[in-house]
Amino acid sequence: MTRRAAGKGSGAVFPVLVAALLGAVALSTSTGPVAIPFRKMAEALLHGGDDTPSRVLLSLRLPRALLGALVGGALASSGVAFQALLRNPLADPYILGVSGGAAVGALTVALFLSAEASPALPLFAFLGAAMSALSVFLLARRKSGVSPERLILMGVVVGAFLNAVIMLMVTLSPPGKIPGALYWLMGDLGLGTPRRVAVLFPYVASGFAVLFLLSRGLDLLLLGDQAAFQTGLSVERVKTATYLTASLLAGSVVAVSGLIGFVGLIVPHGARVLVGSGHRRLLPAAFLLGGAFLVLSDTIARTASPAGELPVGAVTALAGAPFFLYLLRRNGGRS
Amino acid sequence: MMAAALLLTAMAVSASSGEGFPLAVRDDRGATIRLAAPPRRVVSLAPSLTEIVFLLGRQELLAGVTRYCNFPPPAASLPKVGGVTDPDVERVVALAPDLVLCTTDGNPREKVHALEEMGIPCFAVAPQDLAAVFATIERVGILLGAADRGRAEAAALRRRADRARAAGEGDGRDVPRVLFAVSTSPIIAAGAGTFMDELVRLAGGWNVAAGYSGRYPRLSVEDLVSARPDVVFVAGMAGAERFPEEVKRWKEIPAFRDGSVHTLEGDVVTRPGPRLVGALEQVSAALAAWRAGHAKAVAPGAGGKR
Repeated sequence: MTRRAAGKGSGAVFPVLVAALLGAVALSTSTGPVAIPFRKMAEALLHGGDDTPSRVLLSLRLPRALLGALVGGALASSGVAFQALLRNPLADPYILGVSGGAAVGALTVALFLSAEASPALPLFAFLGAAMSALSVFLLARRKSGVSPERLILMGVVVGAFLNAVIMLMVTLSPPGKIPGALYWLMGDLGLGTPRRVAVLFPYVASGFAVLFLLSRGLDLLLLGDQAAFQTGLSVERVKTATYLTASLLAGSVVAVSGLIGFVGLIVPHGARVLVGSGHRRLLPAAFLLGGAFLVLSDTIARTASPAGELPVGAVTALAGAPFFLYLLRRNGGRS
Repeated sequence: MMAAALLLTAMAVSASSGEGFPLAVRDDRGATIRLAAPPRRVVSLAPSLTEIVFLLGRQELLAGVTRYCNFPPPAASLPKVGGVTDPDVERVVALAPDLVLCTTDGNPREKVHALEEMGIPCFAVAPQDLAAVFATIERVGILLGAADRGRAEAAALRRRADRARAAGEGDGRDVPRVLFAVSTSPIIAAGAGTFMDELVRLAGGWNVAAGYSGRYPRLSVEDLVSARPDVVFVAGMAGAERFPEEVKRWKEIPAFRDGSVHTLEGDVVTRPGPRLVGALEQVSAALAAWRAGHAKAVAPGAGGKR
């Protein structure tokens, strides 16, 4: 299946995906409550400017769109990696404790440090995600290595434990302390400042690069440990590297944008339909598709409702589910 | 219906002498509450109702309150029966109240129903604006055998509200654009149908979030840049009242540019209780101050751009 799928589709898919991402970014930057004429936009993009439309474009819309592209791309590629590592189509970047850890980190800041939007919040969310991901890994590891089954089991147990901690924190906290952190957890690209984009970029770029270098190993992991081992692959090293990189990728994204669901779970399947399951093509395709999809979803979240902004996570699932159902069904469930 | 209304009026009249029991009063659900004698043990299931009982000087009747009942301060030390949305029916029953004061937006209907099944009369209110809050004070006064006090307190509050409105009225041209935020990160505004929207309107301001369809629309920074509020009020909750730097630095937003950002206590502006009038006075004063500054700023020109 791998070979047939890998040969499938011509090179034309990638230009289309790149165009989709660029188109989504362009659409996102050209819509919003402040009316900006097209000429003004071109001018601002080319020469900058300090008037209101230029500033709205350059310090609000463009960073937000770029953040959406990075976050969507990172979630989708992290999802691809987890699905291969766990040999499980239901795996997503949050399955192994990343989301619970990030939530506990964020709520800790809200409860004990400051209920206001604190610069410490992303840092603590990242630390929480990294710590829970690492403990799942260490708990699941045995002398013989880590098995997907044990990883999932430990991830579920640690996740349930962290969920209980979250519920207790929310229930026992004084009223008013928590809503900010909860909204933040629901996922928000709204604070996409140029600085955040700059902070996130190296994490996403290096994380993606490492996963891409591991593509052959990921292909072989799909065949099963035994088969992979027989090809001379150092299975445990590939697994460890994949696990840590994909968790770090997810953790860094959660730190700047909260928990955005659906992208990391479903976009990998959509990308597989388009380019097959060879990871050298699948990873970049998932990154581009995830980026375009999240930027579009965020544009809808910002502009569609007369009741103000919607949580982007609600839009990803609401708009995405039918689209990806169509994509998956049209393909006869081949992936 | 008519008979009940007449009955209520009759009861109200006779209750003013401190007597009047037995009485029958219709609540905001349309249910008729009958009390054979003045209640001696009352449980309040909402902070606003607790405040009203204290205002009426009947706090010695309170056998239990919610964990959110923190005003006036002595309320916080009364026995707790749970929260507003999750009152513990068994704890209420254990306190053996002969009257429960509750609300229809907040307290779950099934819980109130369960209390009524136990034979405890429940008086449910749902004031949606200031006028209804004043009327609620009078009605609770009748129920608690403090009809005179209720009428007097309500009248005093009405007078203060009228004065605050008069002070806040401009000449019709200087209508400040107002944002009333209940959260600063993300930015969530009080829209139409909230008490905060009413405060802004009564004080002569224009609520920039009133055009959204929800009661609490979530706004982006760009929404604010586009709406250009002149004055911003923040309903402060547990210290989360400051806007993030990346929001505040927008000089296109007059309120941030001129430092016209005011914090009001969150409890006060979200509870349909007597302290709303104090909040109206604060909002009114802030808008009057803006008008004074604005008049000065545009006086040299011909009316300004507004």
